Order: sequence, then structure tokens, then C-alpha cells
Amino acid sequence: MLEIKNLNASINNREILKGLNISIKPGELHAIMGPNGSGKSTLANVLSGKEGYKISGELNYLGKSLNEISIDERAQKGIFLAFQYPTEIPGVNTSNFLRTSLNKVRKAQGKKEIDALSFLKLVKEKSDELGMDEKMLTRQLNVGFSGGEKKKNEILQMKILDPSLIILDETDSGLDIDALKIVADGVNSARDKKKSFLVITHYQRLLNFIKPDFVHVLADGKIVKSGTKELAMELEKTGYKGIN
Amino acid sequence: MLDLKIHSNEIDKIGKFSKEEKDYRIKNLNYFNDIGLPNKKDEDWKFSDLNAIVSKNFKKLNLKLGKSDNPKINFIKEFEHNYIVIINGKLTASDFKYEEKNKIDLKPFTNEDYSNKKENNPLVNLNHALSHEGFFLEVKENYKFNKVLVIYYFYTDDLDENLLNSKNKIKIGNNSEIHFVDFIVNESKRNFFNNIYEEIILEESSTLKNIYLQNDKSPGYFHKYTKNKLSSGSNLSSFIFPTGLKFNKLDLEFDLEGENSVCNIQSAAFLNEYDHQEVKTRVNHLYPNCKSYQKVKNVLNDNSKGVYQGKIFVKDVAQKTDAYQLSKAVLLNERSEFNSKPELEIYADDVKCSHGSTSGSLDKDSIYYLMTRGLSKKESTKLLVESFLNEIIESIKSSSLRNFIKTKLENQLKNEHKKH
Repeated sequence: MLEIKNLNASINNREILKGLNISIKPGELHAIMGPNGSGKSTLANVLSGKEGYKISGELNYLGKSLNEISIDERAQKGIFLAFQYPTEIPGVNTSNFLRTSLNKVRKAQGKKEIDALSFLKLVKEKSDELGMDEKMLTRQLNVGFSGGEKKKNEILQMKILDPSLIILDETDSGLDIDALKIVADGVNSARDKKKSFLVITHYQRLLNFIKPDFVHVLADGKIVKSGTKELAMELEKTGYKGIN
Repeated sequence: MLDLKIHSNEIDKIGKFSKEEKDYRIKNLNYFNDIGLPNKKDEDWKFSDLNAIVSKNFKKLNLKLGKSDNPKINFIKEFEHNYIVIINGKLTASDFKYEEKNKIDLKPFTNEDYSNKKENNPLVNLNHALSHEGFFLEVKENYKFNKVLVIYYFYTDDLDENLLNSKNKIKIGNNSEIHFVDFIVNESKRNFFNNIYEEIILEESSTLKNIYLQNDKSPGYFHKYTKNKLSSGSNLSSFIFPTGLKFNKLDLEFDLEGENSVCNIQSAAFLNEYDHQEVKTRVNHLYPNCKSYQKVKNVLNDNSKGVYQGKIFVKDVAQKTDAYQLSKAVLLNERSEFNSKPELEIYADDVKCSHGSTSGSLDKDSIYYLMTRGLSKKESTKLLVESFLNEIIESIKSSSLRNFIKTKLENQLKNEHKKH
């Protein structure tokens, strides 16, 4: 699904990622943990195609290079990034935006555009699963949403767009335990043999609810240790300093 | 340079006038000729050098109008309405089928006031000197219109470097209410200059809601001066959507001359190519307990230029004034330009006045977020521009009018989208 080899990324002449390697197969969920400033969010940004980074190394998705592929095309090809801080966009109606987004992705994948009625049905089903009030969707995109509502809205988008590679950037940050459970359930119910997940998190807490197949520790722009979920437990005890 | 001195014998060509009226016109013409078309040295025209703009785009200004056949008007079908048709400034037709006829008076404009002075705006003197078309509309006391009135300002396809001057006056009686749309339909493919003088009088406790809208893009150069007079308890809201003309300056003055009068001015414009648009307002708070609200939003692309000059004047007796003014501009191109000049002149001590002005490019994070959801950069930009301007449209209460204006804006943006 995703093959990253010797990935380097710098911004404003500052090196952030320094030779990162990772390989994710279909159906796998990988967690990336690391201290502040280790390059976690940069990795998420680079995978999404965000501009402004100088990049070298290989970045292959479904066997093809992602170089030269724009942000929107990546989304259309099934890469989804759930933001750590979803952007508030005044004046844009959440529901209309979701439909536009879904139809863009469907069209790119050669599917028919969804009609208004089927869309409403789909949204109702998915937002019910997340315990979201549908009224939220009549509001402006992320404007005035609480931290939890914003994160749920990200997971809702993930469920509706049905992507193949999902990157969750610190989705657990700012969530209370109830919201965390709902979000984790949302992720767990979306897992299947075809989808791959890259879960970026600072704390082990989220991994109590979302069981990873592999855990990697990112420090100073590189993966310094990889293992299974026991590694996360170990980290919780020793802290990041105990790793190197 | 274009010679802009206008000879007094042009007045005789317009028509036969009483000595009093002719003197009035000649005096006004002299006032205009002293200054000519204003240039950027004039503070009020600092950002819109009309002299330079006209010199650049016109070889002459033709005062004589050809005799064109009455054109076919495509009436708006989206909502039921009364109408007035003005062709090249002249009152041509009207229908008030939804109203009580004896409550309404409509006739061609006739001047009754020959007092004259050198106006701050020389185009007003020019209008006084040469204008001979226009209308007078009066809504009698205690009458509320059942349906909206659309005033079709139609400009014919034979206009070619013409200078049009016309005058309108609208008077709304005590406790009456009218909603009207100034709908500008321009068939001309060539440049012409249109100079309108307007007087709007709101008597006690009357209400006026007005929308100013262009049907399409056109090579018109427009200037309009409007004097709005608000008596006590009256309420005026004006929604301005000036997108479409090559040049447009709206010089709007509001006199709050009675307690508890309220005026609300909102504008949303999308400018591209070499469009140049200015909204200039002056709100005069002359009595206590009045309220004024202004919000002006502009999106500028290509080489377009937008200007907002907004002045709030509060007289010493006008205590408890509540005045607000906000201008927001989004520039999509480094060649586009926006100038904003807010001004407060306050002589009362117990007032609430605030103003703000921002301009910048679209938020990069918003574009990034939308793109990660599969929208292209263009689509993201379009969505953000639309939502920026829609905020103004959303505050129009009538859903049929709101949708009509939204569709117009969407089409303008769609055309823009195709072009690039």
C-alpha cells in the first residue's frame, strides 16, 4: 500500500525527516509514536502532498510514485489525512462541502455522483455511528466546533469518503475519554483487509482502544525502533528517553 | 487629453427651458467646467482618477443620443414583481399590478428646485446642467407594497461613447414600506458614461429595502450620486452588488435627520480584468439614537481595483449614536489592488462608533484543507470566494431574491473558473 524509502524532508532549510523508512501492507495498522518535534506531523503533511517541503527519497503508494501528485489528486486516489487541528472555514456549509468532496473523489474513481437523497441517507447512517448530531452538519465547516466535534467530523469524513490509506494525525489530542472511545470505535469499524492506517500519536492511550499491528518510534526524523504493540507499552513505562 | 469643456449651447440642444431653469443649468455647467472631470488631486477621487480613466477609454463624450427602437426587455421570471422600465435614463413603462394604484404616483422627473451651488462632487453639477430624463416615484402614506418593485435600467446596444445624465427621486410616505431592486441590463457593446443623480426620501417610520444588481458584465462607466434622507423612525437597508461594470463609482450619502432612524449598507463585489469599482459613503448622524451599519466585501482578481471610502459623521447633538463600519477585501492576484479609507468625525461624546478594514489573500490553510478532501486549487478558491461573498447575500430575508442573487454570483464565478 505505502512504501517509504529513505525519505528526507526539509522546510526553510531545516531538515525534519532524515532518512525515514516504513512499509505498510493492505489491512495493516501502523502506529508512529514520538516525542514533540520528532517530525510526526511533517510526515503526515508530506504524505498529504502539502506544499513548501523539499523532499527526497521514495514515496510509493499502490506501487506508484507520489512525486508530482498534487494534494487533491492524492485525496482522489484514496489517501485521507485526519488533521490534528482541522481548519475552520467560515461560510462553507459542512454538509454541502462533504457532498462536493465525496463527488469529487467518486468522479475521479470513475463512480457515479451521489444524488442528494442517497447522500443524506449515507450521512445520517455514518453520523449516527459516531453519535453526532446531524444539525452540526448544517453549520459552517468546523466553525465554533468543540475540539471533540472537530475530530468526530474528521472521522465522519473518513467514513464517507471511504479511502484506502488513512493517516490520523494526533486524532486523540484534546479528546476526553468518552469522545476518544467514540473516535476509536469509528476507526475500528472502518478497518478491513483492504484499508491501511497510519496512526500518529504522542501517547500510548489511543492504542488501548485502537490495536496496532506495528508500532514505530520516530525520533529526530528517523524510525529508531519498530515492534508490535508491546513496544507502545514499554514506551509508556520508560518514556522516549529510554529508547535510544 | 480629451477636451471635457462642455459648451452652454448643448443645453439648448436638450430642450426649451424657462429662463429660470436655463440659468440654473448654465450656472451648474459653469461650475462643472471650472473643474472638469475630477482627478486624483481631489481627495474624494484620490483612488479613482476619473479624468485619467475617461481620457484613456473615450475618444469623445457624445451628448446626443440616437433614436433607438424600444428594445425587448427580458423580465425576471424567478419571482413576481411590479416593474418600472427606464431606457437610457428615460421612464418608458411601468406596471404596478400587485398594488393599489391610488397609493402610488409615478411620473417623469421634473425639477422644482433651482437653487444652485458648487457641489463637492462636480459630476452632480454636470448632472444638474444636462440631465433631462428620469422619474419621480412617490409611495403615499400608510401603504405597504405587496410585492417587490424591479426598476429595470436598460441601456441599448446603440450607445457609443455617449454621456447620459438622468435624475430620479423616490419618496416614501409616513409608515409606508417598499422593497425595490435596481436591476441594470446593459446591451451596449461599446463604452458609454452614465451619470445618475438620485434623491431618496424616507418620511417618518417608513421602510425601504433596496438591492442594486447588474445583470451581466458590460462596458459601462457608471457614476451615481444618491442623497438619502431618513426621517425619525425610518429604516433603510441597501444591498449593493456592483459586479459587472468596467467602472462604477457609487457616491452615497445618508442623512439621519430624525431620531431612531436606522440605515444598513452592505456590499459584495467580485472584480476581475480591469474593473474599477468604488463605493463611497458618508453617513451623517444628525439626531440622537440613530443607528448605522456598513459592511463592504470585495474579491479582486486580475488587474482589478476596488475602493471603499466610508465616512461616519456624528453631530454634537447626536448622542447615543451607534455606528459600525467594516471593509474586508480578498486579493487573488498580485496585480489587483484595494484601497480603503475609513473616516470618523465625531462631535458627540456619548456614542458607539467602530470601524475595521482588512485585506489580504485567501487563507492558505483553508485551501490546503479543502484540497486534502479532493477539491482542486481552483475549486477550493471558488468555494472560499463564494462563501466570503455569500455572507452578505445570506442577510437578504426574501428567499426568492436571495436565490436569484446567489445564482447571478455563481454564474459570474463559474465564467471566471472556465476562463483560467
